[in-house]
Amino acid sequence: MEFLANIGLGFSVALSLTNIFYCFLGAFLGTLVGVIPGLGVLAAISMLFPLTFHLEPTTALIMLAGIWYGTTYGGSTASILLNLPGTPANAVTCLDGYPMARQGRGGVALFMTTVASFFGASFGIVLLTLFTPVIADYALRFGSAEYFALMLMGLVAASTISEGSAVKGLSMVVLGIIIGLVGMDSQSATVRFSFGVMGLLEGVSLIALAMGVFGVAEIIMSVRRVRTADIDPETLRLKAIKPSRDEMRRSWFPMLRGASIGSFFGTLPGTGPSIAAFLSYAIEKRVSRTPERFGNGAIEGIMGPESANNAADQTAFIPTLSLGVPGSATMALMLGVLMIHGVAPGPNLISSQPELFWGLIMSFWVGNLILLLLNIPLIGVWVRMLTIPYHILYPAVLMFICIGAYTSGFTVLNVWMVLVFGALGYAMRIFGFPGAPLLLGFVLGPLMEEHFRRAMVLSRGEFLTFFERPISAVIMALTGMILIWSVWSAEIIRRRRAARAAGDGATTHEAREG
Amino acid sequence: MKTLLTAAAMALGLAQPLFAADYPAGPVTVVVPYSPSGNTDVFMRHLAPYLEKAWGQPVLIDNRPGGGSMVGTAQVAQARPDGQTLLVTTSAYVTAPAIQPDLPFDPREDLIPVANVGHVSYILVTNATSDFDTLDEFVAASKESPKFAATAGLGTTTHFAIEKFIADSGADVDVVHFKGGGPAVVSILSGETDIYGSSVSSAGENLTSGKIKALAVLGSARIDAQPDVPSTAELGYPDLEIKQWVGMFVPAGTDPAIVEKLNADVNAALRNEEFIAKVTPLDWTLNATTPEGFAEQVDSELDMWKALAESQGLSQ
Repeated sequence: MEFLANIGLGFSVALSLTNIFYCFLGAFLGTLVGVIPGLGVLAAISMLFPLTFHLEPTTALIMLAGIWYGTTYGGSTASILLNLPGTPANAVTCLDGYPMARQGRGGVALFMTTVASFFGASFGIVLLTLFTPVIADYALRFGSAEYFALMLMGLVAASTISEGSAVKGLSMVVLGIIIGLVGMDSQSATVRFSFGVMGLLEGVSLIALAMGVFGVAEIIMSVRRVRTADIDPETLRLKAIKPSRDEMRRSWFPMLRGASIGSFFGTLPGTGPSIAAFLSYAIEKRVSRTPERFGNGAIEGIMGPESANNAADQTAFIPTLSLGVPGSATMALMLGVLMIHGVAPGPNLISSQPELFWGLIMSFWVGNLILLLLNIPLIGVWVRMLTIPYHILYPAVLMFICIGAYTSGFTVLNVWMVLVFGALGYAMRIFGFPGAPLLLGFVLGPLMEEHFRRAMVLSRGEFLTFFERPISAVIMALTGMILIWSVWSAEIIRRRRAARAAGDGATTHEAREG
Repeated sequence: MKTLLTAAAMALGLAQPLFAADYPAGPVTVVVPYSPSGNTDVFMRHLAPYLEKAWGQPVLIDNRPGGGSMVGTAQVAQARPDGQTLLVTTSAYVTAPAIQPDLPFDPREDLIPVANVGHVSYILVTNATSDFDTLDEFVAASKESPKFAATAGLGTTTHFAIEKFIADSGADVDVVHFKGGGPAVVSILSGETDIYGSSVSSAGENLTSGKIKALAVLGSARIDAQPDVPSTAELGYPDLEIKQWVGMFVPAGTDPAIVEKLNADVNAALRNEEFIAKVTPLDWTLNATTPEGFAEQVDSELDMWKALAESQGLSQ
């Protein structure tokens, strides 16, 4: 019954008036930050972090965590209505969410992503509660070889996401890796591609890259199109947000798969919600009987990723709270809050600070419920924010992007980088190069190198280490299968197209194969 | 050289004549070359209110992370030497130059050491299931089958500490770099590596729960947090006096009277009972140094790490 007592303890902490207030504040600010494209969670938490110095550590964490998962809820709004990811984790939601909005189903998309977010988060919290000790032990079995294999799998899987030309997708992965090489290499301190700029020793800022390629480029595109707000308020009324029976039926499994994928990747350092969302999208497209609907407003394409990124948001706390290993920069800030209050994170945190651990986790229920209640009636409000005339909204967003880029490293260099990457992103849009593989290559490239080289040192230069260690070998085999599968299915599509070109009679027969 | 000239030009031509009595004339900016919430940042944020009280001026903390602390350090090296811009950094100040030859400043010429404010001790730890219980057994075991040592990153104090230990003990150990102390401790927990020079705070919880065991404290004396763990000096390694310290610096050309006043004010703040109560749980040992004493320490450590980097083949 100790488990129930812990849950009780957690709720008694989470349901105190102060904690509910700060939980609400965090979730609300998070949603707001998420809705505004360009202003990311890291920037928001970095800016609000000093405010929490005067709070109790539990309250401070509850508020910061609220911002963290709140942004992922809010981030889908901009993805769906503006084709502009509110946060990198919502980037993939653009692919099908925006077409849905163009078809007048924006209300349905917003409602359903909120449901998916809540479902994913709930799934993550249950796992977080039940399996923190188990998963902590299991994460310990992941050494450098396993991380390398896993990241290789991520990149291979990602290269199958890219829309249109596979060559363009692959070239963007490579460009991302090259940009990721900038800075000081972690095993021998050799400085690469920094051109004598001190600020580049730490490498290119992820925030600057993401904001430039996704944020600035989109704004330039939009300005060029001189598009007026094409959000039809009629589609967002309460009546219009009700999904059809068919859409409900289609959503169930993607949500469940997304939540599982998200929960898994959330626990691994270096992966997190963005990668979980990308992978979930790739898998949904793969398992779908009608993959051609993806990119044209398939509801599976928003349910899977939105469920995955929210589940990952929650399970990201598992390594952070159980091992004291932050999987991302945001989690590192969370750890910082603990340390500033003299609480040492580690396997003993749960036993030495039970009210903090259980209070925080139970506050996630409070926060997610607040978000669910906040988002569905407030869809109209968030949308109205996005119908602000673009000549006001866009300069404001650009300003927020600059503030966000500056505060992410406290350096003007980041603002210049946003400019450069904005130009790059704009050029990429014009020539039809996808942005997502670039981002993924950039994030995973340096991590892969780091783990690869560490695995090499640890195996004393034996390449076979990746195939001899059981977990690594299994992941490598899966990667091989994904690779073969994608080549094979591309071949099928090619044949099908050839057949279709040859005559209409073949289409019905071929469709069954896909 | 260029920086030196600039600093000299500023000292001669631009700086207003300042008297220590009037110091500080306005808000004081403390550059911390690490992210908010890191050890150094937390320490400085605790210290700042006491300096504000002493000076009657706001103390602003300016986080300038990057380049393993070298970005912010270089920035202060080029700041106006009027005492309004200070640097508070770690022993990376003396270790980084040993492996990064192309720094845009000279750590001996461009900045003046003011005070060593405090330090954190390192303990050598290993997994609880390792088949060695003492440092001697570890050295002996490594000669039979080579071992792995974890570090919190290339060029960090944990890296140099372990290299110095390897050089002094003759153990057969390969060094593996991790990004930060957290992952390094996890590699000890998972058994991926065999030894790590950890700060007490990052190993603490795992030590008390018995998942990892301590072999020795680096230095001449035992520490209060782990009174049963022998010091390396007791075990026959007299030269492993390696601490992660935090110190204050000002740009070269600053009026010596200001340096003296800063040193006195900082030392006074470090003796404040309220402040001590705040930082001792964070495993800090507070120091009281003179500018000259700290300058000597910086000078000799720069030499020591440079020599070690060359003999162990670490510098490029």
